[in-house]
Amino acid sequence: MWKFITRRLLITLPQIILLSVLVFIMAQMMPGDALTGLVDPNLDPATIAEQRERLGLNDPWHIQYVNWVGNALQGDLGQSFRFKIDVTDLIGQRLNNTIWLSLLTLIFTYIIAIPLGITSGRYNDTLRDQMITGYTYIGFATPLFIFALVLLWIFGFQLGWFPTGSSVAPGLTRGTFEYYVSRLHHLMLPALSMALITTVNTVQYLRNEIIDTKQKDFILTARAKGASESRVYNRHVFRNSLLPIAALFGFEITGLIGGTVFIETIYSYPGMGLLFMESITQRDYSVVTAVVLLFGIASILGALLSDIILSLVDPRIRIK
Amino acid sequence: MTFLEINDLKVHFPIRGGIFNRKIDSIRAVDGISFQIEAGQTYGIVGESGSGKTTTGRAIIGLNQITSGQIIFQGIDLADKKNKKIDFRKDIQMIFQDPYSSLNPKKRVLDIVAEPLRNYEKLTKKEEIYRVAELLEKVGLSEESIYKYPHQFSGGQRQRIGIARAIALKPKLIIADEPVSALDVSVQAQVLNFMRDIQEELNLTYLFISHDLGIVKHMSDRIGIMYKGRYVEEGSTDDIFTNPQHIYTKRLVAAIPDINPKNRAKQKTFREEVQKEYEQAYHDYFDEEGLAYDLRRQSETHLVALPERVN
Amino acid sequence: MVKVDVDVKEEKKAHKSQSSLNILWREIVRDKLALVSLIFFVSITVVVFTVSAVLDLDQIVKVDLFSIHQAPNQEFWLGTDYGGRDVFGQLIIGTRNSLWIGFIVTFLTGIIGVTFGLVAGYFGGHVDNVMMRILDFFQILPFLMIVIVFVAIVPSYSTLAFSLIMTAFLWMGIARLVRSKALQERELDYAQASKTLGTPQWKIMFGQVLPNLSSLIIVTMTLNLAANIGLESGLSFLGFGFPESTPSLGTLLSYARNPQTLEYRWWIWLPAAILIFLLMLSVRNVGEALKRATDARQRRG
Repeated sequence: MWKFITRRLLITLPQIILLSVLVFIMAQMMPGDALTGLVDPNLDPATIAEQRERLGLNDPWHIQYVNWVGNALQGDLGQSFRFKIDVTDLIGQRLNNTIWLSLLTLIFTYIIAIPLGITSGRYNDTLRDQMITGYTYIGFATPLFIFALVLLWIFGFQLGWFPTGSSVAPGLTRGTFEYYVSRLHHLMLPALSMALITTVNTVQYLRNEIIDTKQKDFILTARAKGASESRVYNRHVFRNSLLPIAALFGFEITGLIGGTVFIETIYSYPGMGLLFMESITQRDYSVVTAVVLLFGIASILGALLSDIILSLVDPRIRIK
Repeated sequence: MTFLEINDLKVHFPIRGGIFNRKIDSIRAVDGISFQIEAGQTYGIVGESGSGKTTTGRAIIGLNQITSGQIIFQGIDLADKKNKKIDFRKDIQMIFQDPYSSLNPKKRVLDIVAEPLRNYEKLTKKEEIYRVAELLEKVGLSEESIYKYPHQFSGGQRQRIGIARAIALKPKLIIADEPVSALDVSVQAQVLNFMRDIQEELNLTYLFISHDLGIVKHMSDRIGIMYKGRYVEEGSTDDIFTNPQHIYTKRLVAAIPDINPKNRAKQKTFREEVQKEYEQAYHDYFDEEGLAYDLRRQSETHLVALPERVN
Repeated sequence: MVKVDVDVKEEKKAHKSQSSLNILWREIVRDKLALVSLIFFVSITVVVFTVSAVLDLDQIVKVDLFSIHQAPNQEFWLGTDYGGRDVFGQLIIGTRNSLWIGFIVTFLTGIIGVTFGLVAGYFGGHVDNVMMRILDFFQILPFLMIVIVFVAIVPSYSTLAFSLIMTAFLWMGIARLVRSKALQERELDYAQASKTLGTPQWKIMFGQVLPNLSSLIIVTMTLNLAANIGLESGLSFLGFGFPESTPSLGTLLSYARNPQTLEYRWWIWLPAAILIFLLMLSVRNVGEALKRATDARQRRG
């Protein structure tokens, strides 16, 4: 197992390097550079040229790349041309919101998936199962953004149950009880709309897993030994079916990243996804670069996490 | 000139492991075997599963990479990289064990049997159909079969299609890898007799691989017994069945059922003797790793793997 | 001597009944939901392509300031948008564009994915190892963001450029499936037999192994079509799909990013939302039925 994890870690490093190269190339293709928007356009061209030289913008690309990586490693991702502050600080403000959104979404995803998947798998081909399967069927066919839009329209605008934008009601002091309630209230609808769609994967996976496990010989053995039905399920079936679900956890992160872009745009929720969309429409490219790099690394680490969990759970991989 | 001569053939499969997936050990599937086949004869290789008999056949036809050794076919060493360009496919063909997976389920019989013809002979559509129908007739299938798919045939018929494909290029050597073990016993004899018929008709040489001693006895002129990648005994069919020398061969021969009830008592004593010898003298026949020793000559035709001190 | 007097065409017909395409077709006809879905999808496709050939595109995308934000009425069946453009006309053209890009991207990703997967799976070993690491890398990239960045920085992008950008990041799924099936197929004796018969490697790959993957490929591509229609509309919704002059279903939905439109002018975005949903659902229905057909255990008839 340690061999597998070490080998897996060794693959991760080149992946991150490759990602950084890709992001760097993208940044180079974007119009403008680190100076654009920083300097006073009234300065004379000679001074600008001097500045460019000093910042190393005339160096060959590989030196620029090394400098860029070096800076990024020290937490210097350049300056936002729109907000005139360091990208790192800007991201720091927004990251918090996205993490809370993702966390709540994950919690909802599993709260929905586990009971539905278990019911559907245990009582397969009954009415209950058919209703749950019907839900996953429709969930698979519904694009996340349409579902979120419709929920916002119905519960946000028509019924007015939930706020329709921002992450907290204005005028509340940080740290008060009302402040946290308001934040949660703002999070509910975005997280729920994302969870209801992304959970169908897990529901269906769990269902298939349980149906497969149910037919295995060791379950027959447990029954033959006289174990009660609830003991068969609680001690044998669920334990074996729920473990693989844990492995999907890392991949959920990759899915969440795409999801937050849509969800935050629709609910005007000030997180990383919205920051990305705002920055790209306003051509604040240093922010765009930083966000892509960060999310790219997050998905690489997510996949790594999944594989490691999987290797802990699945003995077949451990041997390899 | 010997028709086919195998010299010290070795086929090792690497076992990979460690962080960088480097080769850490190897499985010695075939570990230094030598034999000769004369033209027009049938040479049988017998062994339990995992003994390396199938790998030997596949190595000769080029499906498995050879680690070392020589395969001299009509005077040319096929294992030599210099001879890689020489196309010997036309002269060596193979009949596969499983008639269900060896025919592509998505292809019609015409396409299956014509595949080798399309690779080596430029035929018009009409000539091709004619040739295929001819081949099918030779293996006892009607010409209407050519537009059918493999799943429309029984196992025995499928094996005949496989044989038709193998003889399409008029090869000289056919490697038959357990050609009947996937078939019903009632069909086995049919296919085997048919194979003997076409052997005479087309002057074929067979390398016949099987785990079934009875079938090999029926088919072969010479027999080699394999165990864990090595030969334990080689000789004419007569040598092997009337005068087995190695304990492994003796046990195999003793295990052949005899239907004649008069021989029952004789058979039983023979089995008990063999069993006793096996228990007492196991270490005389195998080295510390449980592998067979090198072959030594017993007679003109008979070779047995025995250590030097015995005899 | 053998007489060969077989009527080729007659014989071909007689034995074709078991081919995989036929099995797939029979399964769809038996599955009422899938049949209805197929009919729905085909008729929508035919309608939008013929109607949009008749419709005057310039007329529809022309801004008409006298009829801004009209609710559905006699003249404009589904009302007008902020530029006074007819929503119904945009819906027709949008559907056509969305379907078109869906087909193109599905086709291109299919070709790349199948070839990549087939080569990796057929050769196996080191080739497979290297190719799969490349695939892994593509698969963990934050696809959506990278496509958006590319669309934003590629100057004057066209439908073709957009399809290519989408294709570049969407071929991995089918490649992975084809690869794992090819890994199994190459071990089967028929592929080995082809080698002994002197058939060249590429011919074995595409001539012998590929036909045995056909049902897997058809099923996957159908399901991909549904996903691609959804993805394209999502990107257009964010404003990074087609340019506004070529409306897609997502473009109509993107108007709903304006809270005013979302709250008060449902006729602009809701029909497009429903249409995307129905299109994706119907294509998926067909795909799921095909999937059942290829899995003999689940086959209904």
